[in-house]
Amino acid sequence: MTVMDAANLEVTDLQAIAEQVWTSYLGDTEPLLPSFGPLDDAFAQGMVWSAAVSVHGGWLGTVTVEVASTVAEQLTRTMLALEATALTDADIADAVGELVNMIGGNVKSLMPGPSTLTLPVVAAGRTASPSAAAELARFDATYAGRPVRVTVRADHR
Amino acid sequence: MSKILVADDSRVMRQIVVRTLRQAGYAGHDIIEAENGRDALDKTHSEHPDLILSDWNMPEMNGIDCLAALRASGNTTPFGFVTSEGSDDMRARADAAGALFLIAKPFTPETFAESLAGVL
Repeated sequence: MTVMDAANLEVTDLQAIAEQVWTSYLGDTEPLLPSFGPLDDAFAQGMVWSAAVSVHGGWLGTVTVEVASTVAEQLTRTMLALEATALTDADIADAVGELVNMIGGNVKSLMPGPSTLTLPVVAAGRTASPSAAAELARFDATYAGRPVRVTVRADHR
Repeated sequence: MSKILVADDSRVMRQIVVRTLRQAGYAGHDIIEAENGRDALDKTHSEHPDLILSDWNMPEMNGIDCLAALRASGNTTPFGFVTSEGSDDMRARADAAGALFLIAKPFTPETFAESLAGVL
């Protein structure tokens, strides 16, 4: 991948980053499948975890990850190598935050720099973006039939 | 047996780094953990690790400031970054500050084995 103009971030780059992160920590037995259907309906059916990091510098923007709670739990169990132990919200927030940190760091590497990456902010629920943020690329997918969304927005303020 | 300090504000990532060290052939080493750069700085002075593997972006004190503080105090403990940011700019900054390597997340055991070869 090469450094490109912010306006040219392709969804295929975002997909490649998400799949690489996913495969590295969750293996490839259950793939992250691109989704072309209405994910909003799938997200509306259950609880969702969201996480965001922002990039400040040569490029201004935000990277968000939204995953169904079942995906967040499976992700956390795999990353922590836990099987039967009950998960805490702190465990899930840690894992989902690390997920967006890795994806955000890789997106930052594709954007004009130098810039800095914020620490992740994690919440139970969907994300909402301010009106000054324009969506640059969005990768919708499913994991074990449940929704996963990665969005990159440019901040034009 | 060597002592390795793993610094990351994410418990999940510290666990993954420790697991990956094992998979890369570095099982059996004494592992100590730090939650941020300040904690890593303190534990480097008190625990005298043989290698520091540190995240870059952490609260309290980030990894590059930790490395700078160590070197400014005369501490020469081998130091490598394990970070989500692997751009040329970040690698150049890490190198200039005295880091031996920068492992970009996501990583594999093979990446760890290549980076740590000859260090421990």
